[in-house]
Amino acid sequence: MTRSRLTLLLLIPTLALLVAFLLLPYVNMVVMSFRTPSTSAVFAPGFTTANYLNALLDPDFYYLEILWDTMVLGFWTTLICLTLGFPLAYHLARTQSRIKTLLYFFILSPLLVGVVIRCYGWMIILGPHNGLINNTLKQLNLIENSLPLMFNTFGVSVGLIHVFLPFMILPLLGSIQAVDPALEEASQSLGASRLKTMFKVIVPLSLPGIQAGSILVFVLTISSFVIPILLGSYKVMIMPTLVVQQIMDAMLWPFGAALAFILSIAGGLVIYVYLKLTARLVPGVQ
Amino acid sequence: MALTTSRSQFVGRIFFLGFIVLVYIFLLTPLVVVVIASFDSAEILSFPIEGFSLRWYRKFLSTEGVWLDSIILSLKIALLATIISTALGTAVSLYVVRFAGKWRESLRIFIILPLLLPEILTAIALLIFYYNIEGFFNALSVPLLSGVFRHSFFGLLIGHVLITLPFVFLGISGSLYNFDMSLEEASRNLGGGRFITFWRITLPIVKPGIIAGALLALIISYDLFAISYLLKPIGTATLPIQLFDYVRWEFDPTAAAVSTVSIIFTLVVLFITERLVGLRALRF
Amino acid sequence: MTTLKLKNLTCRFGDVVAVDGIDLEIGDHELVSLLGPSGCGKTTTLRCIAGFESPDGGDILFDQSSVKGLAPEKRDLGMVFQNYALFPHMTVSGNLAYGLQMRKTDQQEIDRRIGETLEIVQLTGLGDRYPNQLSGGQQQRVALARALIIQPRILLLDEPLANLDAKLREEMRFFIRNLQKDIGITTIYVTHDQAESMVMSDRIVVMFDGRIHQIGKPAEIYNFPATQEIADFIGLSNFIACTVSSREADDQYSVDTATGRLRSTTTASHTVGSEVIMMVRPEVITLHSESAQGTHNEIQGTVAEKYYLGNVITYRIRYTDDAILQVQGQPWSTFEVGDSIWCRFDVERSWILPTGSS
Repeated sequence: MTRSRLTLLLLIPTLALLVAFLLLPYVNMVVMSFRTPSTSAVFAPGFTTANYLNALLDPDFYYLEILWDTMVLGFWTTLICLTLGFPLAYHLARTQSRIKTLLYFFILSPLLVGVVIRCYGWMIILGPHNGLINNTLKQLNLIENSLPLMFNTFGVSVGLIHVFLPFMILPLLGSIQAVDPALEEASQSLGASRLKTMFKVIVPLSLPGIQAGSILVFVLTISSFVIPILLGSYKVMIMPTLVVQQIMDAMLWPFGAALAFILSIAGGLVIYVYLKLTARLVPGVQ
Repeated sequence: MALTTSRSQFVGRIFFLGFIVLVYIFLLTPLVVVVIASFDSAEILSFPIEGFSLRWYRKFLSTEGVWLDSIILSLKIALLATIISTALGTAVSLYVVRFAGKWRESLRIFIILPLLLPEILTAIALLIFYYNIEGFFNALSVPLLSGVFRHSFFGLLIGHVLITLPFVFLGISGSLYNFDMSLEEASRNLGGGRFITFWRITLPIVKPGIIAGALLALIISYDLFAISYLLKPIGTATLPIQLFDYVRWEFDPTAAAVSTVSIIFTLVVLFITERLVGLRALRF
Repeated sequence: MTTLKLKNLTCRFGDVVAVDGIDLEIGDHELVSLLGPSGCGKTTTLRCIAGFESPDGGDILFDQSSVKGLAPEKRDLGMVFQNYALFPHMTVSGNLAYGLQMRKTDQQEIDRRIGETLEIVQLTGLGDRYPNQLSGGQQQRVALARALIIQPRILLLDEPLANLDAKLREEMRFFIRNLQKDIGITTIYVTHDQAESMVMSDRIVVMFDGRIHQIGKPAEIYNFPATQEIADFIGLSNFIACTVSSREADDQYSVDTATGRLRSTTTASHTVGSEVIMMVRPEVITLHSESAQGTHNEIQGTVAEKYYLGNVITYRIRYTDDAILQVQGQPWSTFEVGDSIWCRFDVERSWILPTGSS
């Protein structure tokens, strides 16, 4: 065998796996979204655009409303993660402290512990009956009735922010580290305060990291399915939950598939607009 | 780093540090709370905990093996998925970095696609696909895929491999991109052929990337929810799914005990990674 | 030990011709340096010899037999890389043993040679260290040792001293040269540092843009460069524009310059009336406050700038409206800016550049 044939052997297994079990299933799902739904079988014969039309043109705007709620949730989660995460990433990128590895570890370990456990922790903290916050406040006689911290958008948001914050911090960290510290010193020597330097120098130059982190958190949020169920029960309905309901409970696969694609396209559009807007804010950088 | 510090700069610095301390606390509190809750002696979980007890650990270890079964399934899948994706990931990294030429960027994106696409979408796509191809073959009266993918261990494993492979790939290709080719040239100049050079020079130097990628894959697979939820064999559960069901309907702290054990497992793996190759290698 | 011959060697990267038809013969025991600025093709030539690049044309012969197409690991060469390329996961001894292991040498012999070689490069006792525990100079010597321990037929060095600081670089030049002479190994040395190649080489091969412009002993290249480009690259020189007046001897011509008539040496023949360039090195010019008759050349000028460097004083003398002569003066000379001054140099110490490149 020639050398180039041999090296192809390195590629083929992975390529086959991805084509067979990633590419084909997604294509299949697109096809599925155009099939007629049926409750007795996976799908009924024939193709139709009814699934998409039903979702988009529903007179109560039920689906569009859920889509909107999902996008809004994504927006706020991303924004808050950025606000919380940027100072953290900046500090970690610049610190010479001995506990640098420990801090890195603090950011990484929640990520690796699993979403269910993290939500469970929040359930313990936010719970209406015996939760940490409500219990403590009651014992201090500060409140009579429990605060509604869970089973609503607030609880779900807390969970989302907590789970996805590391996904914002890590790309930011990489980007900020790539900014030459001498630039900050130059800025300060020219009279800018640390805060001004942060906004005028660091933020523009770490834009790639901001973009990467934002897109990551946004996509994760609009496709998160565990957190809304655990911390919102079915009171907070967003698209992923709806899609899974259609697939698993209602067995309306074509409809579910269509909803999944509507979500994807909406998300894709938002990201596209976001990239175009932010790129214009900082010309000359990526 | 700081130039001369004035009073206001000092105050600003205090606020800044205070802010990030709060964020770190925010990140860690749920985990700490879970661990503490696992020792609660009360029947119904409440916080602050009422007394100290190990009963939930005993309950978890003894309950008709439900928990143990799910842990074993999780570990089995995680280990197999890690081994497969490490093997595939090493091979394809080599190809992409060294031999891919103009296809390099496209291949790179294709391989990490499962990371960029929402996990729930991939899970749904696979579920539908498994049903469809089985139906397809059945319709041809060739029922050879009956039960092979649909709600099977194998189908579940494939889903895990798809998600873990990009992590391994990123870890290894990172090491390979920065690899100093003159080391391989030196080896060849001294008489080592291509294979010996790979075995004695390339592989040992890339090893940290491989180990970091593999350990990360292990943890990720262990924690995967959406894929497992949709693709698992009927009647079984991986640990995250078992936990998910339990915390929704039960209120005793057994879940906390299980979670604590899980947390310890993750921390141990992270610790091993740090000792072996340093946490820096876990960039992705 | 081995002779090397390059025949019309050509090497292309896409549209760029990195090595453009090089012919070169290197004899047994010789140390030849390939000298030129970055991008001149010297490293590419070396890599072709080593087998890491495939030539697009021409041939490479070791001892009259072609090695074109032969894999690098089969060429039996020792190569020292610019960044040393020491295997980071092996100790010094491990690095040294590697090439011998490829040659299936038995362990006893390996150990013996390691001890011997470490002594030669003055690193005895450091066998168990890892490369990252060594200083730059020590790493450099390990790289050298690793290439020599296998007793290759040709030694290749790719700018081996580029990453060392100035003082260490100077010491290592002498060290490598003496070592090479002791062992007597045929060596090719790639560098952009002309002082380095002057110190080390039996012959220098000057390269620009993928072609050889001149080959010769260091003194030849320095004193009789074939082109202005070479003269400019090697050491400092003054260039004086002249018109050929008459031929005075086999190797001497009278030329007319803006400041009068001078005489100079050359090996080429020049037609009367043609425009040529005379090269005079700063160190051969002496400075005087008065003119004097004699067979020497003289140029009158004014001191424009003066720089004290400790071991010399550099004078820049203006002798026409827009021409400057750079001269090295003794550190105790007392000429000042604005002084009228006479620059004197021997006929034999100036050189008329042959027109065109060789």
